[in-house]
Amino acid sequence: MSPEQVDQLFGYVQERCLWQFSSRSWDRQENIDGILATATDLLAGREPKRDTPMHKIFYADALLMVGDFKSRFPWIAEVAPEEADALMGSLKDRLVEHTITKSLNHELNHSLY
Amino acid sequence: MPMVLLECDKDIPERQQHIYLKVDGEDSRDYLPVSNASTIPGTLSERGCAFCGAKLVIGGVLKDTIQMIHGPIGCAYDTWHTKRYPTDNGHFNMKYVWSTDMKESHIVFGGEKRLEKSINEAFDEMPDVKRMFVYTTCPTALIGDDIKAVAKKVMSERPEVDIFTCECPGFAGVSQSKGHHVLNIGWINEKVGSLEPEITSDYTMNFIGDFNIQGDTQLLQTYWDKLGIQVIAHFTGNGTYDALRGMHRAQLNVVNCARSSGYIANELKKRYGIPRLDIDSWGFSYMAEGIRKICAFFGIEDRGEALIADEYEKWKGKLDWYKERLQGTKMAIWTGGPRLWHWTKSVEDDLGIQVVAMSSKFGHQEDFEKVIARGQSGTYYIDDGNELEFFEIIEKVKPDVIFTGPRVGELVKKLHIPYVNGHGYHNGPYMGFEGFVNLARDTYNAVHNPLLKLAGTDIRGTAPAAFKEAAE
Amino acid sequence: MGCEITSRDRAGIINPMYDCQPAGAQYAGIGMKDCIPLVHGGQGCTMFVRLLFAQHFKENFDIASTSLHEESAVFGGHARMQDGVMALVRRYPHLRIIQIITTCSTEVIGDDVEGSINVCNKMIKEEFPDREVYVVPVHTPSFKSSQVGGYSECVLSTFKTIAKKKAEPSGKLNLFPGWVNPGDVTLLKRYAAAMDVDASIFMDTEDFDSPMLPDKSIHTHGRTTVEDIRASSGAFASLALARYEGASTGEFLRDEFEVPHHLVSTPYGIANTDAMLRKISEITGKPIPESLVKERGIALDALQDLAHMFFADKRVAIFGHPDLVIGLSEFCIEVELKPVLLLLGDDNTKYKRDPRILALKDKVNWDMEVVCNADLWELEKRLKDPDYKLDLILGHSKGRYVAIDHKIPMARVGFPTFDRAGLYRQPTMGYQGAMLLGEAIANAMFAHMEYTHDREWILNTW
Repeated sequence: MSPEQVDQLFGYVQERCLWQFSSRSWDRQENIDGILATATDLLAGREPKRDTPMHKIFYADALLMVGDFKSRFPWIAEVAPEEADALMGSLKDRLVEHTITKSLNHELNHSLY
Repeated sequence: MPMVLLECDKDIPERQQHIYLKVDGEDSRDYLPVSNASTIPGTLSERGCAFCGAKLVIGGVLKDTIQMIHGPIGCAYDTWHTKRYPTDNGHFNMKYVWSTDMKESHIVFGGEKRLEKSINEAFDEMPDVKRMFVYTTCPTALIGDDIKAVAKKVMSERPEVDIFTCECPGFAGVSQSKGHHVLNIGWINEKVGSLEPEITSDYTMNFIGDFNIQGDTQLLQTYWDKLGIQVIAHFTGNGTYDALRGMHRAQLNVVNCARSSGYIANELKKRYGIPRLDIDSWGFSYMAEGIRKICAFFGIEDRGEALIADEYEKWKGKLDWYKERLQGTKMAIWTGGPRLWHWTKSVEDDLGIQVVAMSSKFGHQEDFEKVIARGQSGTYYIDDGNELEFFEIIEKVKPDVIFTGPRVGELVKKLHIPYVNGHGYHNGPYMGFEGFVNLARDTYNAVHNPLLKLAGTDIRGTAPAAFKEAAE
Repeated sequence: MGCEITSRDRAGIINPMYDCQPAGAQYAGIGMKDCIPLVHGGQGCTMFVRLLFAQHFKENFDIASTSLHEESAVFGGHARMQDGVMALVRRYPHLRIIQIITTCSTEVIGDDVEGSINVCNKMIKEEFPDREVYVVPVHTPSFKSSQVGGYSECVLSTFKTIAKKKAEPSGKLNLFPGWVNPGDVTLLKRYAAAMDVDASIFMDTEDFDSPMLPDKSIHTHGRTTVEDIRASSGAFASLALARYEGASTGEFLRDEFEVPHHLVSTPYGIANTDAMLRKISEITGKPIPESLVKERGIALDALQDLAHMFFADKRVAIFGHPDLVIGLSEFCIEVELKPVLLLLGDDNTKYKRDPRILALKDKVNWDMEVVCNADLWELEKRLKDPDYKLDLILGHSKGRYVAIDHKIPMARVGFPTFDRAGLYRQPTMGYQGAMLLGEAIANAMFAHMEYTHDREWILNTW
């Protein structure tokens, strides 16, 4: 896993996805955690959970994202199942940093919607 | 590149915090325009008020609901004939507006009796209509009329009617955004869960943040029908009052306009555990992606693929015809907020258009995070842009077409720049596959308008435009 | 048989005919050159009115807002007023007039507009000693009167602020047409020129119909200048054409500067135009020229083709501004149309005593209703009765669905007329205006006959 690879995935998510930009930091964290966990399963060839409404929504978002990863970044086919965790972990760190910890959005931590 | 202080803003330097020029290597950790902040008085901003955010944008879309505006006549007059949201029952929502026509004596002695009388009259005059929204306005909020108490009294006397009250005076908040918020939160607190919807499908959702502009909702509804998905409530395009009371029963909330309606989706998730899926309904690849996600949620991926294949078959060729001819067109988007991030990448990917400047009237920083992530370097990102700023930005980026409202459209016409109505559309719908072809067609026709080319010609033969044309 | 004058008996309004006072004040304000009105209130009070003007004229007009927010509702909006004025003065170096137009909210809060203007005047004098900027207080709470009164109030306040002393005799006639279209202003200028009368039209809105030019310059603004208003106190007379929309300023110039003031019936139709021209002739001693006799004849000639053949006995409803509705009803009677319903849309109690209305009462020998303080539901409600027969609606575009849904031909006239192209360019006043309106009515009826196959074959040989 190279930093360039993480850059590519991060660039994709920022450009295509909306879930990392939910209204509040806890929603962002929940989405990032849930979707990337599901994506890790998909990349590692594990059957993701689809039994609760939240699992289903993470699956829907992750499925499309992983599909696009595979078509846009051929190198991802070479990622071994055990490397998927680390790759998604790095992506997650990047997303959390950009959209939560270092976000300049003043409204992220309002207690109400 | 730091935030930009335009020449026209040298006397109001605080505007620098609102205008960002993106350069390579920067992201929204570095710079994020201040937004959803108070407008500087006298700047000729484009913003409206909280009342219009509630009434004109959301409540007034409903096709079966009286919109009673408790205030002087202007608030009613001004939020009537200013939107293009038809309905399938003959556009009841666009034909009528109701006001308590407050006069000075009601300001002095209170307007509650006036409101009660007006509500009863409205139901008497239109006996088939049983649902009503009541809005406060600046003066009725200032004098403290208790509109909830009045609504309660009328409901107790008329058990067949239901009334929702929305306290959103025009001075609340900094823009129409406050009104969106008040209506969203009021509705979930008071009305969601008060009626059980009839469930007719194994797959149910609410479609949130789409207001049937020129038939958007009705076009997308043909997709949901083909997929066998029941839309319990449209919030609020072509929608009904009672359908919105049953939002709690949907399995999924699909959100298009996150700015105006994200609040209710968040609350439905928090209170009822209904997941929220944000999609972009404008653009081919976005629409296909949205359909795929919805279908993946329900486990009906095959139906989704069949629908997308059908739609691509029907419309992709037409879209590509325009894409070929719109390559490199420079567009500016000056609209409310979300359409900046909905459109910047979809017009780039699907139509080859470069978005060179964007201004949002009422977006929040969340909207700027989204649009800066999606938009290009070299593009201006402006919060609450005003008229002199628009002139200066136009000089800098020289757009070929501007997506904005009709009034600004009339202004830029004088500069020989065509506009496409970014709020009410020229000839929509613009959502969905067919809709995006409509948007492409209107853009193409705007950019290739022969009159605007003639406008640059000085018939005395002295204009530079004449030489330019000869050189072309 | 006869004319009955009533008022709306409902408290609420369903589909208003008029906007509120600040909207009318803004319309008057944009009639000035080097002027940006500043509306002291919520942002919607400005944004929607600008949109309304853009819809009607297909043009943009500059109007600013003080963007009132909650803290002003609590602590007062003085700072925002002053900041607004100074932002405008600093960023628009050509600016010479700013009307501060109040709204319901700032009147309820009770902001001291005059006090703030004193502060602004000092600040402007200090920062821009070479500039003279008039800051005009315009009190237009939305809960009083309507756009009609607001228009009148803003014209009057602007004159009171600028016309401070008696000017040298200017040899000019002050002409107050009221809230009219650029087409009317052009016509009035043409008539004045034909009579060799030097008239100042307040407000001169001719350039509200403005061009796209090769050099991309923008000229969409009023033409009335500070100098025009200063000179108004030295005019030899004032002539007001609209009792409710401009007469008060003529009265002010009379009371303050002894400028003789005259009021005529609003010149819609032939006889009213005759009366206006005779009055101008009487004031100036100038004869009515041959060219206007000819124009009058052409209008009569055209209308004569329509009157007893197509118009006679057709029942008409008219709504809009009071001076317009009353004037149009007189025009209708001239061309044998039967006005049966006049809707006047605010709570001004003077309408019921208007001499023109009283004259109609004497004149009509059919059932006619005048509803004061009316809304458009008064019209629609009557049409829900299958026995209520109406052949024509005259009014502005806000009533379009009444006509569409009840399949009644409608000629657009007044303000706003956003659902028809270019109407603001045409006069409705004068002989030419009467002719054009008569022809628009006829063509609306003809198209209706065709779409409904109602004796459309008559036109085979017309």
